[in-house]
Amino acid sequence: MPIQPLSLLTPVQQPIPNIMQKSTPYEAQQQFGAMLKDAISNVNDQQKVSDTMTNKLIRGEQVELHEVMIASQKASITLSATMEVRNKVIEAYQEIMRMSV
Amino acid sequence: MSIFHSMNTTASALTSQRLRMDVISSNMANVDTTRGRLVNGEWEPYRRKSVTMRPLEGQFSSFLNIAIGHSSKNHVGNGVKVSSINEDRETPFKLVFDPSHPDADENGYVEMPNVDPLREMVDLISATRSYEANVTVFNANKAMLTKALEIGK
Repeated sequence: MPIQPLSLLTPVQQPIPNIMQKSTPYEAQQQFGAMLKDAISNVNDQQKVSDTMTNKLIRGEQVELHEVMIASQKASITLSATMEVRNKVIEAYQEIMRMSV
Repeated sequence: MSIFHSMNTTASALTSQRLRMDVISSNMANVDTTRGRLVNGEWEPYRRKSVTMRPLEGQFSSFLNIAIGHSSKNHVGNGVKVSSINEDRETPFKLVFDPSHPDADENGYVEMPNVDPLREMVDLISATRSYEANVTVFNANKAMLTKALEIGK
C-alpha cells in the first residue's frame, strides 16, 4: 500500500484571484449605463406586451380576458419596481449633492 | 424562477377553467340535440363532454430538471392544462316517447342526449368557484409583490 507523503508545502488555501478588478470611471459608467438600459427595456417590453394584448382584445382576436388583465398587472408591477429603484437612485444622488464641501 | 412564475401558473389555471366552462356551455346548449353525429347513416344524439386536466409539464425547464437528476416531485410545478376533452360513453341516452319527432324510431321513442342539466349546473358552479379561487390567488400574489416593493419605506 503506497503511503502518500505529507507535504507541508502544499498551500492549504488557493491564492485568491484578484476579484476586484479595477475599472476606469469611463468603463464603470458604461457598465452602469448598459445595465440601466437593459432593465428599462425589460420594463418597456412588459408594457408593450400588455399593449399588444389589449389591442388584440379590442380587435376581437382570439385572446383570453384574464390573460390581458394579467399582462397589465405584470406591467404595473414591473413599473412600480422601476419607480422604486429610480426613487432610491435619486435619493442617493441628492444625498451626495447635499454633501458640504 | 422569475417573480411572475406563480402568476403564469394562475393564468394556466384560469385558462383551463375557461375551457371547462366552454365545454359545460356546449353541453347545456345541446341538451336537446338529437342530431349530434352521423354514424353509419343514422343520426346519433349529442354526447356529454367533459375535460380532464393534467399538470403542465413539457417545458424545457422541466425536462432539464429531470435530465440533471432533479426529480419532479420536489420542484415547483408550472401550472395545469387540459389534456383532453372526452365524450361520455358510459351514461346511456335518454329515451323520450314522442312519435311526432322526426328522429323517432318505429316505436315512437326518441333518443335524447345523455346530458343531465342538474349535473351541468353543479359543474358550472364548480368551475366558477375554481376560477374565483384562482383569481384570489393571483390577487394575494400581487399584494405580496406590492408589499415587497414597500420594504424600506
